[in-house]
Amino acid sequence: MWNKREEEQLNTGRPAAAVQPPPPADARHEAATGAGAAIGPSISIVGELTGDEDLTILGKVEGTISLPKHSVTIGRTAKVTADIRAKTVSVEGEVRGNLQAAEQILIRRTATMLGNLAAPRVGLEDGCRFKGSVDMESVAPGGRPASETAAKPAEAPSAKPIAASPERLPLKQDPLAARS
Amino acid sequence: MGWFSGSGRPSAPEPKAPEEHRSLALPQLLRGLRPESHPSLLDLGMAVGSNLEFLAAYSCRVRIADLYRSLQAEPPESREPDVFPALLPRLLPLEPSESFDVLLAWDLFNYLRRDQTTALMTWLAPACTERTIVFALISTLPQIPGVPLRFRIVDDQHLAWGGLSRTTRPSPRFTQPDLRKMAPGFRVRNSYILRSGIQEYLLERGTQKSVATAVPVARSARGLVVR
Repeated sequence: MWNKREEEQLNTGRPAAAVQPPPPADARHEAATGAGAAIGPSISIVGELTGDEDLTILGKVEGTISLPKHSVTIGRTAKVTADIRAKTVSVEGEVRGNLQAAEQILIRRTATMLGNLAAPRVGLEDGCRFKGSVDMESVAPGGRPASETAAKPAEAPSAKPIAASPERLPLKQDPLAARS
Repeated sequence: MGWFSGSGRPSAPEPKAPEEHRSLALPQLLRGLRPESHPSLLDLGMAVGSNLEFLAAYSCRVRIADLYRSLQAEPPESREPDVFPALLPRLLPLEPSESFDVLLAWDLFNYLRRDQTTALMTWLAPACTERTIVFALISTLPQIPGVPLRFRIVDDQHLAWGGLSRTTRPSPRFTQPDLRKMAPGFRVRNSYILRSGIQEYLLERGTQKSVATAVPVARSARGLVVR
């Protein structure tokens, strides 16, 4: 009833094709490469976090996190209660708060996420625990938002809904991949 | 909080390969989604990334409730009949201005008691408009998996399901009249009995008047179509 590709897609949730997953959070990796800052698993911070480099969180953070030009990675051991604004956000641990990313958000399979997500690309890996809303602007193959490519009712009052029209929106095409 | 108690542990591998069926209700549901109106969906099931990707093509705003697992994370005493309605504001909080164009119930109703489904639909009714459609899958088999399945939209006509549990439980085998009673204020717009043992329902707000005259009008290769 299904081919191997589809089975693999179901098991993986197909996030990889749409959202580029960053490597798993690893404080040693970060320390060795010097790529960004890390908040270790024994560290607790309450307040407002801002900065100009990538951030990996493995400890506890409460407050707000704002790194609009950089990536934020919530490691598997992290417990974060904060709204986060960044270029990209990857969640492997626990987050309670709203996430807003300029590029993408990835909720990995180990994550427990309670909050709303807003980004052009959002990936949820199967197995993750997520409760909240997801808002992402859809972009049609032409590069414009799907809402702009849809025919106006006045142009085609008796036409079938655009969403169901495969010539307008190829449903088997990965909508996220179309943007990249 | 119970919701966070199971974090950090990936879910166990599925004991069986996923199944798939051709859905008759899904195309109708999708036909009503207009990207230009930025439709709002409430998914009562668990988060499935590929569904999100699929629905992104419709410019949907999707809210995921994961209601069954949220309910299971509550203390056992909170599952008593009288407690569930009081839990809903916390399990599924609604903003006063929030409204949904589509409710994806999947197979959740199979796993709730009648009074729980009634309480749930009563709670959601203020967030539904006259155009809101509820998509529900009711088992017609004697046994169902121990926990709700994870349904994935394969394309605009096919659903796959996975997450089969190793245990089974008796199926409530709700009938159409049962569903009408369980979802006050909603009526059955379409119902499709599939050979896979699933009956697909599309519910909409309104009275039950037209349902009483529903008759089978067509038979497809995969199931009986009742309009």
